Amino acid sequence: MDKFLKYFMFSCLALLMAACTDLEEDLVGDITKEITVAGIDTGGDTGGGGELTAAYAELRNAGTANHSSYYSIQEITSDEMCIAAKGGDWFDGGILIQLHQHTYTPTHDFVNNAWTGTYNAIGTVNDKLGAGTLSSEETAQARALRAYFYYRLLDLYGRVKIVTETNTDPPQATRADVFNFVEDELLAALGIPEVSASMDLSGSLLADGGSAYVMNRYGALGLLAKLYLNAEVYVGTAMYDKAEIAASYIIDSGVYQLCGVGCTVKNLGKRPKVESDPVNLEGYAAVFAANNEGNPEHIFSVLYDEVSGTGMNFSQMNLHYSSQFTWNLNEQPWNGYATLEEFYNSYEAGDKRKANNFIVGPQLDFSGSAILDFASDDDDIQLNYTPAINELAPNSLREAGARPSKFSFKLLGRAEMDNDFPIVRLGEVYLIRGEARARQSGNWTDAEADVNVLRARAGVSEYNGNLTGDEFLAERGREMFQETSRRTDLIRFGKYNGTWWEKPASEPFRNVFPIPQEQINAGTGLTQNPGY
Amino acid sequence: MKLNVDYVTKLLLLLAVLGLSNFAYAQRTITGTVTDAESGEPLIGANILVVGTSTGTITDFDGNYSVNVSADATTLEFSYTGYASQRVEIGSQTTIDLALSAGEVLDEVVVIGYGTQKEKEITSSVTSVNAEDFNQGPITDPAQLLQGKVAGLQVYNRGGDPNGQNSVIRLRGISTVGANAEPLVVVDGIIGASLDNVDPNDIESMSVLKDGSAAAIYGSRGSSGVILITTRTGSKEAGKVQFTYNGQVGASTAFNSVPVMGREDFLATGGTDLGSNTDWIKEVTRTGVNNVHSLAAAGGAGNTSYRISGNYRNVDGILDNSGFEQFNARLNFSTKAFNDRVSLDFNSSFTNRKSDFGFREGLRYAVLYNPTAPVNGADAPFSFASEQYGGFFETLGLFDSFNPVAIVNQNRNDGKRNEITYGARLAYQVTDNFSITGRIAQQNTTVDNRQYYPTTSLFRGNATSPTRKGRADFYNENTSFKLYEGYGTYLNNFGNTDLTLTAGYSYQQNNFESNTLRLGDFPDNSQDFSNIIEASQDLQNAGFITANSDASPDEKIIAFFARANATFDNAIFVNASVRREGSTKLGADNRWGIFPAFGVGVNLNRYLAINNVDQLKVRLGYGVTGALPGQNGLSQPIRQIVNGDDGSVSTELIRAANPDLKWEEKAELNLGVEFGMGRFNATLDLYNRDISDFILERTVDAAIFQVDRRFENAGKLNTQGLELTLGYDVLNSGKVNWTTGVVLSTYKTTLEEYVIPKEVRANLGAPGQNGTNMILVAEGQEIGQIWGPVFEGVNAEGAPTFVDLNGDGMVVSQQDNALDDNADFDVLGNGIPDLEIGWTNQLTLGKWSVNAFFRGAFGHSLVNTFRAFYEPVISTQSSYNYVNTDLRVPGLTSAQFSSLYVEKADFFKLDNLTIARSFSFGGNSAIRGITVSLTGQNLFVITNYTGSDPEPSLIDYGAPDNGADIDFSNPDVLSPGIDRRYNYFASRTVTFGLKLNF
Repeated sequence: MDKFLKYFMFSCLALLMAACTDLEEDLVGDITKEITVAGIDTGGDTGGGGELTAAYAELRNAGTANHSSYYSIQEITSDEMCIAAKGGDWFDGGILIQLHQHTYTPTHDFVNNAWTGTYNAIGTVNDKLGAGTLSSEETAQARALRAYFYYRLLDLYGRVKIVTETNTDPPQATRADVFNFVEDELLAALGIPEVSASMDLSGSLLADGGSAYVMNRYGALGLLAKLYLNAEVYVGTAMYDKAEIAASYIIDSGVYQLCGVGCTVKNLGKRPKVESDPVNLEGYAAVFAANNEGNPEHIFSVLYDEVSGTGMNFSQMNLHYSSQFTWNLNEQPWNGYATLEEFYNSYEAGDKRKANNFIVGPQLDFSGSAILDFASDDDDIQLNYTPAINELAPNSLREAGARPSKFSFKLLGRAEMDNDFPIVRLGEVYLIRGEARARQSGNWTDAEADVNVLRARAGVSEYNGNLTGDEFLAERGREMFQETSRRTDLIRFGKYNGTWWEKPASEPFRNVFPIPQEQINAGTGLTQNPGY
Repeated sequence: MKLNVDYVTKLLLLLAVLGLSNFAYAQRTITGTVTDAESGEPLIGANILVVGTSTGTITDFDGNYSVNVSADATTLEFSYTGYASQRVEIGSQTTIDLALSAGEVLDEVVVIGYGTQKEKEITSSVTSVNAEDFNQGPITDPAQLLQGKVAGLQVYNRGGDPNGQNSVIRLRGISTVGANAEPLVVVDGIIGASLDNVDPNDIESMSVLKDGSAAAIYGSRGSSGVILITTRTGSKEAGKVQFTYNGQVGASTAFNSVPVMGREDFLATGGTDLGSNTDWIKEVTRTGVNNVHSLAAAGGAGNTSYRISGNYRNVDGILDNSGFEQFNARLNFSTKAFNDRVSLDFNSSFTNRKSDFGFREGLRYAVLYNPTAPVNGADAPFSFASEQYGGFFETLGLFDSFNPVAIVNQNRNDGKRNEITYGARLAYQVTDNFSITGRIAQQNTTVDNRQYYPTTSLFRGNATSPTRKGRADFYNENTSFKLYEGYGTYLNNFGNTDLTLTAGYSYQQNNFESNTLRLGDFPDNSQDFSNIIEASQDLQNAGFITANSDASPDEKIIAFFARANATFDNAIFVNASVRREGSTKLGADNRWGIFPAFGVGVNLNRYLAINNVDQLKVRLGYGVTGALPGQNGLSQPIRQIVNGDDGSVSTELIRAANPDLKWEEKAELNLGVEFGMGRFNATLDLYNRDISDFILERTVDAAIFQVDRRFENAGKLNTQGLELTLGYDVLNSGKVNWTTGVVLSTYKTTLEEYVIPKEVRANLGAPGQNGTNMILVAEGQEIGQIWGPVFEGVNAEGAPTFVDLNGDGMVVSQQDNALDDNADFDVLGNGIPDLEIGWTNQLTLGKWSVNAFFRGAFGHSLVNTFRAFYEPVISTQSSYNYVNTDLRVPGLTSAQFSSLYVEKADFFKLDNLTIARSFSFGGNSAIRGITVSLTGQNLFVITNYTGSDPEPSLIDYGAPDNGADIDFSNPDVLSPGIDRRYNYFASRTVTFGLKLNF
């Protein structure tokens, strides 16, 4: 008996010892370390690839073409788009009205989302740069890409922290510092000290053309052109000369062509039984189509794919619920974003851009029958988008407003769209050069040559000594609709604080967004922008 | 250690001896009757224990007992709840009849961590509830047995979902903000055993350890309180097996739903006429029938006893196609050997449950669906291609609108769960003063859930799509838990001092694995393709299939603990414990923590001897426990894969590491007073609880950490509360007895420090009320404040106007301004009750007994979200039905959250009424006793709340819309007070029960 008990106690003790005190946490259901697998070069137009796959993917993650982040605050704060409250629908606590009427506050969710989305993108780029595994060419791309994200922060918030290494905490920079940083990084990637007529890009580590999904020399130059065009807003110093040089360099290189007559793609949205749907999309429409990859006008663009590159949800955001049946979309849309009537009417009747950019009028389904909306709130049972929006709130009609369709929809489309989103395209480069020339000379007719290139493509009459500043802005709006440019343009033209439709005048401090309160609260020394 | 043959042989021999030990000792049988000393009535269920052993029995319906005692047994102890225990020398007697006297100070033994303690020696707040005091009726969740019975324990299952997907158990308010921490459940000493694997019929008693000093011995897992469950064990009556059958048949109906307009009112209000007249709520609800059958056999001989039970439950919910069927079996076995020096207990249980979770969305859409819409497409006022929707009508083109009958009838949402738990405890009495105990336990749970939406279902089946229709979801899960414990106990007395020392080691390991799969695009509606997923066309189209797998690391808690209990002069009690605990979940340098507890109690009556006072005890306890986050890996960086379309792969950070993550700590001070005088007794507990360094996910500077989220120790929470338990024997005459008891609790939780000074959270949601956060969380303020503008009236446009609270001449009521200094926002109510009350009444009239239990909660409010969305007559919403309550404001045509939708939800209800009659039979009858009973639950509710159920909503699952799934895994504990549209309607149940002893 005693012997047994001794053994028993001994074995208990052994059990305790064996169980020991090891508390190492070995995660098996999560990834904790970087994984990199090189891509296979098939010679085709593919995304950034390899080490920079995740970095380029951040262009999609940073709210470029979906709801509640960068796209939303650039678009519905402007005079081209709004989200009207339809009874209880899309009221959302008034935050969408606040954006349109410029009464946004530091606690606005979208303002915070745009901030965190952009910094997450910068973080990923910093992560790759810090890993020490990038080639010198990839490093140049990554720095230029990061400069683009800082360009967004510069434009949206002005005063931000310039973080170039993970886990460092620099002080909040002035807007001028951020401007200089963006400029310096882009110049460094281009291998030049400054943009000048005599600059030589042959020393640049960026590619001389090639895939638009990869930051190349022309993409970086295009970003510099945008930066200089807005320099007066950002730092109070006009740099239109440099904007013109950069834009001219791109145009004169001949690497890119405006997508005009003969530049066509198959219309993936053509309904089999609707005769009026064109078989092909040509010119302007082809630039934004679902199959727009490799368009000759794209200089730097974001690769979207319904499977592997998700983040563009325009069909969901813009269309009425019943428009699902027009293209037999995979999911029911949300009925949110619509075009302001005045903006819609700024297009001439024959403007090809008008036909591409908007959906208006009675709607037909996939097989050509009228789409009936049994929940209709006007007296017409057929779904019929009217350009007029009866009111911003509270009871906007659900069928009110022309719907943005620049990035056109395809049959059987998913909630995630396929269209690539250009960040720098040749059409805009013409507009930049025209405006830069006019602003240098003080004479808007000096912009006519460049603007008329685009007017001709749109099938509308050319300017002939009659272009004014206001008309230039309107023309720029028509061309650049839905490309997250309008807020920046209105600010540059001094119109952002003005009045339109249901938008009252707003204070000049609204030209930058507030630093998100949540970020100030994160406790690392950020101070609020003046006025908020 | 060398394992030699000799040892193995001895072990085998030991096992053989254990098995035969029944016959190894001379035995005597003692029989007798236990009665009430005053009335002479037999006492049913009185305990008889052979002193110095765990051998014992209980009296039957006639107060009779029979117990086998070994030759060396000297004394029997008789005890009965509410009566003074007595010890009787056996001597040479074989019949011992005894009359017990009521109304004297109890000397009950209460199960505490790693041992038992006499109730009088306890210095912390512990409440024990025995089976006879449990809530009656067809209760499926053991926690509901205690609902309203324990001051400070909150058990809420809003609505009457039989699958209880959102039931909440909470002790003394929230104990952390990072997760919904519920009390630790310990079943027969097995820490962390699943409550789902215990059938209510098998429970003998439950103890609730409420304060920090009591729970500290269990460490972090006990930081939200501990519920100790003791299951029934066998009797040791020689050669006789006692059977108990317990059966219940009941019927449930929805007793309250959301009031909506009928056809006429709806049309008069401007609703769209679709030609029919349908009561949608009636269409999707039914009378649910419940069946419960339990059979238990208990027996034993000598030192061995056993109990085996089988329980079958078949419960139908009030919502069509919801309910479950469950089988549960339990085996408890215990034996002793070597002069009772070695004891072995073994228990195991098995549960197999098949659930029809059903679709609570059916209730949601029944409220908002057009009352003029037909059920079937054939009855539509226009031509409607109803085959595409399985013959049902659907309002196409309308956001967030689905035919509720189609939802509940076309689709399938069911699950299977298997759970097995077993535990073995071996104890050896080394000397008279020293014993050692080892315990091994394991628990394994598998879950297999499936959802299937046919190609004709608009709801999640995508029936409008021309190409991709139908959806199947699969989820399976396997969790396992291992427990190894060893501890030693030393007992001695020195003069008038009794000392008990306990020290031990505990190893706990959790593992979790899961897989999910979702795919769709099935051929047609001819059969259920979830059994033939190879038919899914998604297999040919990239990007549609969702597949996930997950596994936890070996999630371990390792602890060393020690406790000392000392009693001086049989009146001064001191308890102290310390636990050194380590966890895998924390940063490498912060894994170990030390958590002490201390308590002292004094039986003042011994020194003061106040007239007529039977008991006056004051106790003070203080304990610190650690708390752990729910997730693993918070101290490590987490990345996710990013795929390029050229085959390249990279990763990005999605959560930043926090290598400094440390223990969250809870320190609790509890002062208790226990008072007894004649027929009256009272217990008062006051506590103060401070939680510091709580762990939660917070926004960090994205510029620094790459991502804007990581988990940190941030913040402090303070809870102060009061709990009062009162008991009174109103009548105590021979034939008629009436005892009544009240439990009251109140507490207030203040967020002292938080990651940001203040924020609003809990979004009202779509349609149209996104960005509308209804709950204020602010440093220095109470938890649970509902925050919004105060409704004033309606303007000419039909929009609500709000009160200019600060009188500055402008009304700032937009949600984005909710926290601005000039905002006209106010606290509109609080989601947490100020006072919760349970009132028990037990009335015995001879063989009849009546048990009436009332329950109430006061001071809490609820946001009635159905009203907030569907009460205003919005012209653009004329195709949804309108909620129609007395609170409707005529002319209001736009929806905006305000005080208008926040309602006081005070209630008082007759929670449970049971009337029972027992019959007993002569000694020769095969049947020893029968009890028949009739129970009603939720018989009446007094409340002004206009929604379905006024019970407090303590946690929030957000606002899923347009058919999105409700995520039950991630509740928000900082947002109480919201009656969401996903809530199940409350039900009333009437049950007939039959209990048979034979």
